[in-house]
Amino acid sequence: MGYGRFLLKRGVQGVGVVWGVVTVVFILRFITPGSPIDTVAPLDASQATRQRIAEELGLNQPLYVQYLDYLWELLQGNMGYSYISSIPASVQVFQKLPATLELAVAASVVAIVISIPLGVVSATRRHQPADYAATSFSLLGISTPNFWLGIMLVLVFAVELNVFPTSGRAYGFMQSLAAITGPEPFLTVVTGWLASLFLPAITLGTYFTALITRLVRSGMLDELSEGYVRATRAKGLPETLVRYKHVLRNTLVPVVTVLGLQLGTLIGGAVITEAVFAWPGLGSEIIRAINARDWPILQGSLIVIGIGFVLLNIVVDALYAYLDPRVIAE
Amino acid sequence: MRDRTPAYKGSSHIVPGMSDRDSSRRQFLQAAGSATAAVALAGCTGGGDSTPTDEATETSGDDMETTTAAEETTERPEPDTRDGYLQRANRHTHEQAPWVFLHRQYSVYGQSSDIEWQPRTDERVAAYAIEPATDAGDDVVMTQSQMDSGLDPQDHRETPTDNIVLQAYEGLLERDREGAIVETLATDYERLDETTVQFTVRDNVSFHSGDSLTPEDVAFSINRIVQSDVGDLESPQVDQLIGVEGAEVASADDRTVNVNLSGLNPIVFASFATYCDVMNKSWVESNDSAYINQNMEGTGPFVLSNYEQGVEVAFQRNDDYWDDPAAISTFTINSASESSTRVNRLLSDETDIAVNVPPQEVSRVENSDDASIAAVPSTRVIFNAMRYDVEPFDSPTFRQAVNYAVDLDSIIENVLQTFGSATGQPTLEGFFGHNEDVDPYPRDLDRAEQLVEESGYAGAEIELVTPIGRYLKDVEIAQAVASQVDEIPNVSATARQVEFSTLVSQVTTGNIEDKPPWYLLGWGNATFDAIQTIQPLLASDGALSSYKNEELDRLLDEAQNLPSESN
Repeated sequence: MGYGRFLLKRGVQGVGVVWGVVTVVFILRFITPGSPIDTVAPLDASQATRQRIAEELGLNQPLYVQYLDYLWELLQGNMGYSYISSIPASVQVFQKLPATLELAVAASVVAIVISIPLGVVSATRRHQPADYAATSFSLLGISTPNFWLGIMLVLVFAVELNVFPTSGRAYGFMQSLAAITGPEPFLTVVTGWLASLFLPAITLGTYFTALITRLVRSGMLDELSEGYVRATRAKGLPETLVRYKHVLRNTLVPVVTVLGLQLGTLIGGAVITEAVFAWPGLGSEIIRAINARDWPILQGSLIVIGIGFVLLNIVVDALYAYLDPRVIAE
Repeated sequence: MRDRTPAYKGSSHIVPGMSDRDSSRRQFLQAAGSATAAVALAGCTGGGDSTPTDEATETSGDDMETTTAAEETTERPEPDTRDGYLQRANRHTHEQAPWVFLHRQYSVYGQSSDIEWQPRTDERVAAYAIEPATDAGDDVVMTQSQMDSGLDPQDHRETPTDNIVLQAYEGLLERDREGAIVETLATDYERLDETTVQFTVRDNVSFHSGDSLTPEDVAFSINRIVQSDVGDLESPQVDQLIGVEGAEVASADDRTVNVNLSGLNPIVFASFATYCDVMNKSWVESNDSAYINQNMEGTGPFVLSNYEQGVEVAFQRNDDYWDDPAAISTFTINSASESSTRVNRLLSDETDIAVNVPPQEVSRVENSDDASIAAVPSTRVIFNAMRYDVEPFDSPTFRQAVNYAVDLDSIIENVLQTFGSATGQPTLEGFFGHNEDVDPYPRDLDRAEQLVEESGYAGAEIELVTPIGRYLKDVEIAQAVASQVDEIPNVSATARQVEFSTLVSQVTTGNIEDKPPWYLLGWGNATFDAIQTIQPLLASDGALSSYKNEELDRLLDEAQNLPSESN
């Protein structure tokens, strides 16, 4: 099987998965308590009003008709309209997506910057205080719930020390770029952007940091026992070169894979962090939509996240296949 | 700043002799009582002494409960006013106890020391009433629990959106801080006959675009709510203006607009003081729904300067406002669903008003040097409905016993940390029709036990269904009630939590059999009139009713047949 055919196969599988996501998301609406009519109608609306709303929303159609209509509209890029604001769901969802992507990328950056040096130090100083400190940190990071960490960070750094804002997103990445030529002072915008991003990124990235630290540590320990390491040392290469040029590079292959896949998890897992920091992203939108039974927005958000996961998986598979052609044969 | 004092008190505008029954009265009655927006009113429970009767009931042939024998024999003169009938209806509900009467919920705000502001009685926050206390108080930020559901002032019915649209839009009438009706875009209003009321539209008022306000805009705005073919909108506020059939310009020169009613509708002015913001007809007709939901064209004291859907709405002062300009320059509204986040923002000086501060966060605010708590009783009554048609709640004696078992003072002090006030009737104090002689039930376990024995339901096992997180401390309140009722030696009570949506789907079917036998609910009444609580929740044909009683229906019927003396 060639590389192109491999990608095509993965693409077709991806479409199947997306269809599955769309179907599950559609069915969710019918197995969760409460009716969309209760979202739109006041509590004391008459039965006639409820019936009229059901007709407007197409809820009195047979289930399969609603499903086919939904699929057809989706294929045309129409996710429906918010029950609450009447704004197209696609507009509302894609307005929130950049803030969540920004947070997920920032959390990944935090994780990479901290975890790789920490993992290296931990592996190369095995059973020394630095190793114990690093493994303790990673244990703590994996065990600490997001919401608790976020609240504690806010109380210490925002409320008590007043170093960072408590919540919200003062500026976004695109606003920071625009400030280069815009009327607002560039420094003010960039500082405001980074300050509002810092605590949420730390909160969301801590678990990820701990995970990667462990991965780097165990990967490096495995690699350090390989024969080629002895060979490079026998050649007389300095230890720094051995560690960082050869061992770390080989260690990073599985780390990069995990990073790619975890980015998807971060996008989906940002819900709690976004709620704690009132971060105006897809996570906050999902919570609002769940509380309001705003199904078009909820379905749109879940489908976008699902498609994101599928795309990331395809990219990772493609990279794997490129790096190791044996995968294609398998 | 204009004097927003009550302009319509007494019956000077009411045409006398309107006692003929109108064929549409029943239609109005069936639909009335639709207020859900929470409104606040200062006050506490009324005085007087009233002892509920404990006589056994009789049941009529059509499953309708009749009043107890004791009440039937009580010598009470027939009321001659609407207020009198509504007061009698409140006494009736107290005595027959179709609910476990709990409390009036409070609205609690955290407030920065940079501003001077007092919360309004109707939960709405008007930036026009905010004054700066320091230089920093010129630019005010408010954080509420959620953002708007779009900026169309006629396409919503919830307080968070009210708080946003009322900065830029105004109605003909509104409420002052105490809840009294005051004139806004109307300079006068009167009842011409039983089915017609007239508003005189204020002159020299401009929309934010510069267009002048005309009577035609006013008539269009009313029709857009009550007539689905006007303005491309099925307005959820149509139930607020129930009985209003339409409006037309009576005289362009005199700037008068006539509103046609289907019947007497004694609360028509109260309804107009709650909803019906005035919009620019040409602006609405030249824009689509999505645009109207993301832009504003009102006459209010603030102009929209930035709208980021679901994130932030920013206003700047309207210097061309028809009245004195607002005291502050800018007003920004954002949201945080977590109450701790709202309080953190307040304590870090990132916001000036934090809406809905829960009891557990109050001490954090009170301990701060730069913020304080501002609380006001809301118009929301919290109660436990008991279905009249199932055992053991088909016995008024048993229902009274449950009321006697509940320790309201303890719940208010320990669960709500005093942010609530006990009630013994559906209508809250200060509302039209409130009965000052009806007190909350006192706690008396011996009496409760005795009444349970008399009811014949000794050994009953009952379950209170409560929504989770819909009302302030709802689950904790339900658990406290169930635990206190469980203390009656011959009754066993538990509480069960359900999602609010589940409960809503059960209570809104229009079929009483779908409702749980005993459930906790809250009800806001924005019209300050008893009918808007009793009619939907307790009348035989109420949309959410858990009770049927001929006497209560008769009292409501009589009340709706008379003009309102006050509101």
